[in-house]
Amino acid sequence: MNPTLRRLSILGLALAVPFAANAADYKLGTGSTLGFSGKFQGERFDGAFGKFDAAISYDPANLAGSKFDVTVDVASAKTGNGDRDNALPTADFFDAGKFPKAHYVTTGFSKDAKGGVVANGNLTLHGVTKPVALNVTFNPQAGGARLSVAGTVSRLAFGVGSGEYKDTSTIPDAIEVNATLNLLPK
Amino acid sequence: MPLRSDATRWSTVAKTFHWTMALLILGNGAFAFWMDGLKPSLNKLNMFALHKSVGLTVLALFLLRVLWRFADRRPPHTPGPRWQMIAMHAVHALLYVVIVALPLTGWAFNSAHGYPLQYFKQFNLPALTGHDEGVANVLIVVHEYLFWFLLLLLLPHVGGALKHHIVDRDDTLRRMLPFGRAKRNTPTPPGDSA
Repeated sequence: MNPTLRRLSILGLALAVPFAANAADYKLGTGSTLGFSGKFQGERFDGAFGKFDAAISYDPANLAGSKFDVTVDVASAKTGNGDRDNALPTADFFDAGKFPKAHYVTTGFSKDAKGGVVANGNLTLHGVTKPVALNVTFNPQAGGARLSVAGTVSRLAFGVGSGEYKDTSTIPDAIEVNATLNLLPK
Repeated sequence: MPLRSDATRWSTVAKTFHWTMALLILGNGAFAFWMDGLKPSLNKLNMFALHKSVGLTVLALFLLRVLWRFADRRPPHTPGPRWQMIAMHAVHALLYVVIVALPLTGWAFNSAHGYPLQYFKQFNLPALTGHDEGVANVLIVVHEYLFWFLLLLLLPHVGGALKHHIVDRDDTLRRMLPFGRAKRNTPTPPGDSA
């Protein structure tokens, strides 16, 4: 490669990177958590999915090119209570035998009244697909970034809790979802 | 309907405490054996929550009853042989201990097992102990045996009352019966008001 061509190619690369269609791509680092919280008989419980994976493309300056794609192994839910943990994968709740994976994929990003970023996407859970919005907090860090998302999901909209478990006086409908992802460059 | 007890009968308040708690405790005990046999379901969890709520009600009534006891007089004890008086006091004291120990061991078991404690779906009460399955396994056995012990205590308690009613033909039972009135005018020994 002659010097002129090399300079041109470096220039071309320098010009191309800021205008790339996709934001920076990340993969999950260790210590990432995907949690959920609900109430049972008036008492809050906190749970977490032990197995999930996420492909994150995110750039606060390029929300149009950003994307979250998260897959969750619903049978990996643990809440610190043996009775509840045994019940969650059954047909009464997640029905993990029939619907082993939950999937969330963004369709776009917007800003709320306070200027915070909101991820809009579709959650497929228990065979039902519905839109779910998540508040996004993104903090670049040395060697990657930390991404936090939080939102509320109606468990009954997804049919999680069938039959008598639909009773919201014992198990309220609203389930808080929160994730803290340690992102590493892909 | 006297609010306070007099020399011949227990007050409406004292009778209400006695019979309400008797019904709640025995009813809740029988209910517990029934609910224990239910197949795992949300209904079962709700039935357990009901059992806990009734037990907490008994505990609250017990506290109110003790307070009331300080404020109220009581009819004098029916005179009897010394051993009967000692037995009567011992049975009453043990009944009080069991009445308070039953809900407390239930509450502690619930806490040790890590279950929530919600009073009739209205509000939640704190845990008495930390999560410890070993402790929970002991407490549930104590909780159940306390109920059997309570039934054992009812033999002299009910037996004594019936003996007064049928054999001695005095007012000991009648004065505690709902709507009961003293009819036999048992002579009241002077100075025997506890």
